[in-house]
Amino acid sequence: MSKKEKKIKNTALQEEIHLDIPEDEIWTYQVEGLAAPHINKPYKHYNLKKALFVIVIIVAVSLSIYFSVLALMNDTFEYNETENGIEFTKFSNTGYLYELDIDYVSDIEYIPGNNNPKINFKVVKDTTKPITSVRQFTLNCDDKIKTIRIGAHVEKVDPKAFYSCWALQNIEVDENNPNYCDVDGVLYNKEKTEILCYPCDHDEYLREKYGYERELYRDEVTPEYEKEIQTYVVPSTVKKIGEMCFNYANLRVIYFPEGLERFETLSVFKLHERVDQWTTVPSLYGIYTYKGAEVTDTTFTTQDALGELYLSLPEGLKFIGSDAFSYNQNLQYMYIPSSVTEIGHHAFWDTCYKEGKELKGVTAVDVAHSEEQFAALTIGDDWVPEYDHLLFKKPVDIKYSSQRQVMPAK
Amino acid sequence: MSDILNKVKDFGTEIKTHWNTPAEGKYVPYKEYKDVVIGVGANYTGAKTLEYIGFWSSCFLIMHHYKLPYLTFSVIGLLNMPLGYITALIWWYVCDNLGFLPKKQERKVYLVYGLMMAFGLSTILFDYSRLFDQSGSFITMLNSFEGMNATACFKTFGTHFLYSGWVGARNIFWRKKLIPKYGRYKYGLYCDVIPKCVMVILIGWLPIYNIPDVATRVWVANLLFATYNVFGFGNVLEECSKRISPNLQERILVRSYPVKISHIFNSILAIILPAIVGELRYEWADINFYRWVIPVTFCISAGFTMYLSGRIKERMPQPPIEKKVQIKFWDGMLGVLKNKYMLINTVVGLIDALGNGMLPFATILYFYTFRLSGLPYSLLVALISFAGTPPDLLSPYFLKRFSYKQIMIFYQLSRAIGNAIIAIAMWTLGDNLALCGTICVVVLFFMEMTKTVPTTAGHDMGVRINDYQMYLSGERLESFAGIFGWFTGPITSFVGLIIPIFLLRYGFNSNWEILFFDGSRRNIVVVPIIVDTIGFFLMTIPYLFWDYDNKKQNLVMEVLKRRAEVTEKKAQEEGISISGGYKG
Repeated sequence: MSKKEKKIKNTALQEEIHLDIPEDEIWTYQVEGLAAPHINKPYKHYNLKKALFVIVIIVAVSLSIYFSVLALMNDTFEYNETENGIEFTKFSNTGYLYELDIDYVSDIEYIPGNNNPKINFKVVKDTTKPITSVRQFTLNCDDKIKTIRIGAHVEKVDPKAFYSCWALQNIEVDENNPNYCDVDGVLYNKEKTEILCYPCDHDEYLREKYGYERELYRDEVTPEYEKEIQTYVVPSTVKKIGEMCFNYANLRVIYFPEGLERFETLSVFKLHERVDQWTTVPSLYGIYTYKGAEVTDTTFTTQDALGELYLSLPEGLKFIGSDAFSYNQNLQYMYIPSSVTEIGHHAFWDTCYKEGKELKGVTAVDVAHSEEQFAALTIGDDWVPEYDHLLFKKPVDIKYSSQRQVMPAK
Repeated sequence: MSDILNKVKDFGTEIKTHWNTPAEGKYVPYKEYKDVVIGVGANYTGAKTLEYIGFWSSCFLIMHHYKLPYLTFSVIGLLNMPLGYITALIWWYVCDNLGFLPKKQERKVYLVYGLMMAFGLSTILFDYSRLFDQSGSFITMLNSFEGMNATACFKTFGTHFLYSGWVGARNIFWRKKLIPKYGRYKYGLYCDVIPKCVMVILIGWLPIYNIPDVATRVWVANLLFATYNVFGFGNVLEECSKRISPNLQERILVRSYPVKISHIFNSILAIILPAIVGELRYEWADINFYRWVIPVTFCISAGFTMYLSGRIKERMPQPPIEKKVQIKFWDGMLGVLKNKYMLINTVVGLIDALGNGMLPFATILYFYTFRLSGLPYSLLVALISFAGTPPDLLSPYFLKRFSYKQIMIFYQLSRAIGNAIIAIAMWTLGDNLALCGTICVVVLFFMEMTKTVPTTAGHDMGVRINDYQMYLSGERLESFAGIFGWFTGPITSFVGLIIPIFLLRYGFNSNWEILFFDGSRRNIVVVPIIVDTIGFFLMTIPYLFWDYDNKKQNLVMEVLKRRAEVTEKKAQEEGISISGGYKG
């Protein structure tokens, strides 16, 4: 475009154009290059146009609704046939299912004439079709299921299969299952070298077991309650804490065995307890390691039963996954043993905070390695806790070449 | 140097001279520029503040307190869909006649709205689901919806009746009362502002999020938010300022300077609010944010808005209301279909639906990748938002230099390339937070920089399309234009549900913390971005057919001015008292 043409084009934006339109043509005057106005005039083939319009609209609207319904309707149970058998892929609660069996392909059958939605159905199983695996997020944010029973044929349960099941108290595994087992409602692999899922609402099950009538809020907790309900002992055979294993659990203290090698991603994420009916706060304050004793019972009795004890993470630990301990602001102390070779990003995120001018939570991290040794490890971004400082975030001190703090007297 | 001084001096004299009366050929005195800065600023800030409150999954209130399943929002959309179609027809007819209907029809419409309200109220009070066979396929289908049961479905359905009837009746009543005095864009402020303030306060203080049963929580929350939505507080003064002058150059000047400057109030607030939030014990998850911070901010903004609202005028050439063209239902329906440029925009919107249902990428980046909060969050958001300001100040130049077609094609291509880079970075460098995050932020910065001029062009294109419609049909038919959405509905509703179901498959639901999990975050974010990128490439095609240039627009405005002039003259000759017209 030449400069002259550009100038003409530019001035067109500002130019005042005057049209001399006769008064009787104001509703019909057609601008060159544009369609003619159509105001208060009959349309050609008016009825045909209307009919066509209505038909197209009805078809379009019907299709919209159909597609939307199709996409949103959920079968209660969804499965996928794979080379290795039948995979359980998705569960959508009817709203009234509180227990779930993962053993055979199931479906809901409604009882004709029964108008009570809570009991007007039954789950029917096809025993010729055993379930062999459970996909990740098969249960996702379900808030009704309290018990899951895993059948004998299940070979693979994804660590994220039961994500955020807020009401889940128990996972029971058929004793003939060669791959998995449960220890008092907590899911393990058969050899108990890996703990896979500590149900979000396992404390409810424990309260029932120990005869508590209701949940005790933070300020009401007695030493007995803390010991029976809010303390967990990981068996001595365990080498790995699975992804998201303890997330959202109501635990104050966890005892880990020396010999444990891996904390996977989000494995001890955001443990919490209630302060009233509606509010929760971080609960986990104690991480201890026991040494020497062979422990199979996950109930805490006395410290003596666990043998030698020391504070924080076990010696021999190699891997700490990303966000492994995030949001546990009640934690007091963290020691990284010399065996650790890899720490994921944000592994201890938001475990330190400021209350007034006082720093609380994990206010410093003790590291066994020297600074040079530590720099050679595989370390993720922002692994160290940070706190609010002058409107920005500041990492807590890392104390290299530290000795582990001594366990306080009983 | 002296040249510059002289120019500044001349500019000062120009402002002083035309402070109260506009220069020849212009329509807006400089005093009104000042009112636009403060008035639009307050209105925009208030409207932006309200974006923190919404019945959608990404609202912090829903995210941290209500904890509703992600797909439930799609279910509610589905339940509301059939009635939405029916009420839309009445709504369009009422709106595009500015609320002035023949008496007999007005009574009929009021009756329909009254019955809807009565039915809606009865569903809230009684559980109609009990009338059906609980083991029948209908009830079992309702029970199968995510986060809902049959009772909640019926109550949600009824709530929409109540809402539609209430809103519809108010629409006629207030339009008739207020449009002649305040114009068609800002009249709503006068009837809605006080109830809106009350609802904003109630949203924070009513502890409905504490209802333990999720299905009950869903329908009660839906009722609360429906009531909240009855009263509007949109960014209407800015809409008004887009029609502040029939002079195209003046329109763009107002859009580029006073309106842009007015956004600074919100930019400041966008820094202050998160900084305040950072001081709260549980940050965004702290209910005090909704009890104190939002209501106080909104009420102050609303006060300033109302103080200055009367001083900002809309100046569209239009006949007085007493002589306006009465739009019959079918004329409205068929009239919009004649508008070629609306068709182009519809096709663009249809392709844009490819990204429907995706999560806000930037929010995920800030919160779940960078773990930002407080001031650092504010500063980063402000920095990226600011990237668009300098180019926007040059909008008048760009809009003169390039055609709207060129600008919009550039815009779509720049989005496509930017998104592609982000997708590649997240897919390949997802666990290297610093590098991946930095690349994303830099790309976001450039995308913001290249967004504001096309946005200004897009707004002006919208106004021009309505001007052209007024030329074609005698009214702007902004509401009847909704029919295009019906034609594209099947495709958008189908496509828009693919991404949410995909997200669910990778673990996204009411608990957003799955986004801390690198693998899930990557799938949840990257795949929808790729789909969106394809959409941006395709969106360049419809704009190749855009040929509505400045010359045509000027001619259309001349026709509109002439119509206004002649109709007003005739009304005066007939001795009719006139209101709401503008000759230009």
